[in-house]
Amino acid sequence: MSIASFALRRLGRGVLTVWFAVTVTFLLLRLLPGDPALAVSSPTQTEATRALLLTQYGLDKPLAEQYLLYLGQLLRGNLGTSFTQSVPVLDVLAARLPWTILLTVGALVLTVVIGIPLGVLAASRRGGFLDKAVQVFGVTGQSLFVPSIGVLLLFVVGLKLRWAPIGGAYSDGTYGGQWYLSVLHHLVLPGLSLTLVQLGSYVLTLRATLVDALADDYVVLARANGLSERRILWKHALRNALLPATTLIGLQLGFLVGGAVLTETVFAYPGVGRGIYEAVTQLDFPVLQGAFLMLALTVVVANTLTDLVYGWLDPRVKAS
Amino acid sequence: MAGSPRPARRAVLVGGLGGFSAAAIAACAPSAPEQPAQQGGGAAAGTDTLTIATTTDVVNFNPTVGNSRSDQWVTGLMYPRLLTIASDGSKEAELATKWGYVDPTTGYYEIRDDFVWSDGKPLTAGDVAWTLNAVKKDAPSGTFYGQLANFVQARAVSDTRVEFTMTTPDSSLVDEIGFWGCVVPQHVFEPAGSIADFANDGSSGGWVSAGPYVLTKVQAGQSYTLDRVAKYPLVEGGVPVAAKVVYRVFPDVNTEILALRSGEADVIANALPPAQVQPLTATDGLAVEKATGLGYAHMVYNMDNPDLAKAQVRQALAHAADYEAIRKVALSGQAVSTGSSPLMPVLAKYHDPSITEYPFDPGASRALLQQAGYSADADGMFGLTFRLIYSLQDSVTSQWAQMVKDSSAKAGIAIQLQGSERNTYLAQTNDGDYDIYAGNFAIMDDPVLNFSLSYLPDGAINYTHVDDAALNDLIGQGAATTDLDEKVGIFRQAAKMVHEQVYDNIMYTQDLFFAHSAEWSGFISRPSELLSIVNPVSVASATKSAG
Repeated sequence: MSIASFALRRLGRGVLTVWFAVTVTFLLLRLLPGDPALAVSSPTQTEATRALLLTQYGLDKPLAEQYLLYLGQLLRGNLGTSFTQSVPVLDVLAARLPWTILLTVGALVLTVVIGIPLGVLAASRRGGFLDKAVQVFGVTGQSLFVPSIGVLLLFVVGLKLRWAPIGGAYSDGTYGGQWYLSVLHHLVLPGLSLTLVQLGSYVLTLRATLVDALADDYVVLARANGLSERRILWKHALRNALLPATTLIGLQLGFLVGGAVLTETVFAYPGVGRGIYEAVTQLDFPVLQGAFLMLALTVVVANTLTDLVYGWLDPRVKAS
Repeated sequence: MAGSPRPARRAVLVGGLGGFSAAAIAACAPSAPEQPAQQGGGAAAGTDTLTIATTTDVVNFNPTVGNSRSDQWVTGLMYPRLLTIASDGSKEAELATKWGYVDPTTGYYEIRDDFVWSDGKPLTAGDVAWTLNAVKKDAPSGTFYGQLANFVQARAVSDTRVEFTMTTPDSSLVDEIGFWGCVVPQHVFEPAGSIADFANDGSSGGWVSAGPYVLTKVQAGQSYTLDRVAKYPLVEGGVPVAAKVVYRVFPDVNTEILALRSGEADVIANALPPAQVQPLTATDGLAVEKATGLGYAHMVYNMDNPDLAKAQVRQALAHAADYEAIRKVALSGQAVSTGSSPLMPVLAKYHDPSITEYPFDPGASRALLQQAGYSADADGMFGLTFRLIYSLQDSVTSQWAQMVKDSSAKAGIAIQLQGSERNTYLAQTNDGDYDIYAGNFAIMDDPVLNFSLSYLPDGAINYTHVDDAALNDLIGQGAATTDLDEKVGIFRQAAKMVHEQVYDNIMYTQDLFFAHSAEWSGFISRPSELLSIVNPVSVASATKSAG
C-alpha cells in the first residue's frame, strides 16, 4: 500500500469519526434535563419569555431540522452563536484554545522528558531497587485523579509553601518578559498535576518495551561487536522501545484532553476545559458543540498523525 | 536503523509543535500600556489594585441580559442603578434623587445632573428612558425585563426627569424598576440594534461606563480588569480610591479562601459558607463583614398533589420540621426566624410580630393528620410519602433537607429526598415535578412583587400552585395603593393567610458574611449578596492601608 492511499484511508476514517462525534454530541446535549432558556433566564421570567428565548435559540424546531441546520452551519465553517454570551462560538473558543494547547502540550512534553529517563533507568536496572521504586511510582501515578492531586498541590505548594499561584494563567499587570515568566509560574501546578496523572502509564509502558528490546538478538549482536552499554541502550534499544510509547502518547491524547477539563476547573485555568464546565452549567449548546467538535478534531488529528508517523517509522504497519 | 526518523525530520516535527504553541501564546502576550491606565487622580485617589475573587465567569457584559452574580458585580461597576437598597429593605437614592408617582398609572424619577459616561457624554434622562423602552421592546433574558410587566412607555421630560406610564396602578413598579434596572448609554447600545442581542463585549472600541470603573481587559476564565474613571459623584471626593479593580475567577469558595489567605485576592465577593465564618474571623490579617440577608429559604407544598391540597396536611408538615435545629446546625446559628411569614423581620415596616413560627411538634402533626382522615399504621406512619426536591449545588439546603426528612418521620410522614444538579432542579421546578420544593430566594425586597409572583395564579414563582380568590384580591388591593400604611395593613392580612394556610413555609433569613484582607478598609456594606461589600460605592471607597 502506498503512503498516499494509507494516508487517505486514515483521513476518511477520521472524517467519519468526527461526524459521529458531532452527531452524538448534538443528540446527547438535547437529552440533558432542563432547557437553556431556564438556565439563562431569571426565575421571575414568564413562560412567554422562555418560549421567546427557545425560538431565538432555534430550539423550538423539530430535532431533525435543528440537526440539518447545524450540519449546514458546520459545513460553512460556522459554529453558531453562544446562547449566553451572544458572541460567535469561534471567538469564545479562540480566546481559550491557546491556554489549553499550552497546558496539554506542556504536560505532554514534560511527560516525555521525565518519562524516558525514568523508563530507561528502570529497564537498565531491572529487578534492582531503582527499578522497583520507578514501578511503585508508575503504579501510584496511574491511580492519581486530577482533582485530588490538584487540591493537594494547591494547599501545600500554593498556600503553605507559596511557591506557586493558587489559580489563573498569569498575573494581571505583568508585561513583556515578566508576563512570560508569570505564565510559566502559573503553569507549574496545573502542568504538574496533568503530568503526574499520565506519567505512570508512560513510564511503565516504556520500561516494559525496553526490557523486551534489551533481550533481542540485535542487542546481543551489538554487545558482541563491542558497543558500549550506554550506546546500545540509548541509540539502539530505546529507539525501538519508543514505538509503542509513541502510540501510547497518541492514545493518551483523549485522556489528556479530558484531564485538561478537570485540571482547568480545579486551577481556574482559562482554557477550553474551564469553558466547557461553565457552558455545561449554563446549557450553552453551541459552545459545547463547538468545544466537543474541536476536541474530537484534536484527538482524531493526533491519532491520524500518530498512525501516519507510525507507518513512516515502521513500514510493516502500512503493509498490514 | 530501518524505520527510525532522521534527526532533521524529528527536529522539524518537534520544532513545529513547539512553534505552534509558542505562537499561540505569544498572541496573548499583553503589551505595556503607553500611559498610566487610571484616568482619575484626586486627592484621595490611590494607586492600588483591589482584587476581588468570584467563582464564575462573566457570562454576558450586557447588564440587561446577564443574570449571574459575576455579571451583575462587574457590570454594576459600569452601569448605575437608579436606586439601591437600605438595610431595612427600603429603597435609597443612587442615580435618582427623587422618585414616585405623578398619578396612579404614571411614575417618575428625577436623576442627578453630574453623572458622565466615561467617553465624556453626559448621562441624561434620555438614557434612562431609552433603556427602559428598549428593554420592554426587545425582552432581554435578565431580571430587568421581568420587572416590566405593567410598564408601558417612558419618556424624558427634561434632561433630569423621566416619566413612565403603566397598564394598571402598581405601587411597587417605581421602586422595583429603580433597583433591578440599570441605565446603559443610548449612544453605544442603540446603534447595535436589539438590546437583547447586543453582546457588549467591547469588540467595537471598548466599554463606556458611568460607574466608578470601566472594563479595560478581559481574559475569559481568569480575570476582568477595570480601571478607575475620572469622576464618580457618589464617592467621597468624587474619585474612586483604588486605581484598578480586578475580578479574579476561582473554581469555588474554598479556593477563594486559599487565595485570600495567600494574598492573591483582597476580597471574596461570594457570601462565606456558614462554617467558614468563625475560622476566618479569627484569622490574622483577614476581616469579616456582615451584610443583612434580604431573602429567605423556604419549603413549598405542591397543591396539585391531592394530599397536599388539604390545608391540614400542609400544616402537619409545617409542624414536622425543627426550624431552630436547622438554623443552629445547618447555618451555624447565622440565620433569623421569619416567623414563618413572607414578611421577614428585615422588612421592618411590614413585619408582623404577631405571626409566629410553626412550632416543631410531631404530636400536633399527627393530630392534624388524624383530623384530615388519615390513620397511622403499626409503625406510626400515615401512609403519606412526599418527594422533596432540592439543588445539590446548595450545600445548606442539602443539609437541612435531610433534617426535615428525619423530623417528618417522627410525625409519621415519609419524605423521599431528591437532590439534583441545578439544571435538572430548575426543569423539575418549572414542570411542577415535585411534592415539596426546597430552595431559597436571594432578594425578596418588595411585598407587592413577591406576593404577586409567589401567590397569584399566574405568578412565575407560584410553586405551590395556589389560587385563592381572597388572597388574590388582597394582593390586587395592595398593589394598587400607594398609601404605605394601607399597603402594610393589606399585606399583613395576606401574610396571615399564607401562614395559616401554609401556602408557603418560610423558614429563615440567612445572615451573610463577607471576607476581605485587613489591609483594605472603608467598605460600605449593603444588604444581600448582590450588593454586600462589592456594591459600586463600597468598591470605589475601599482603601488600602499604607505600608
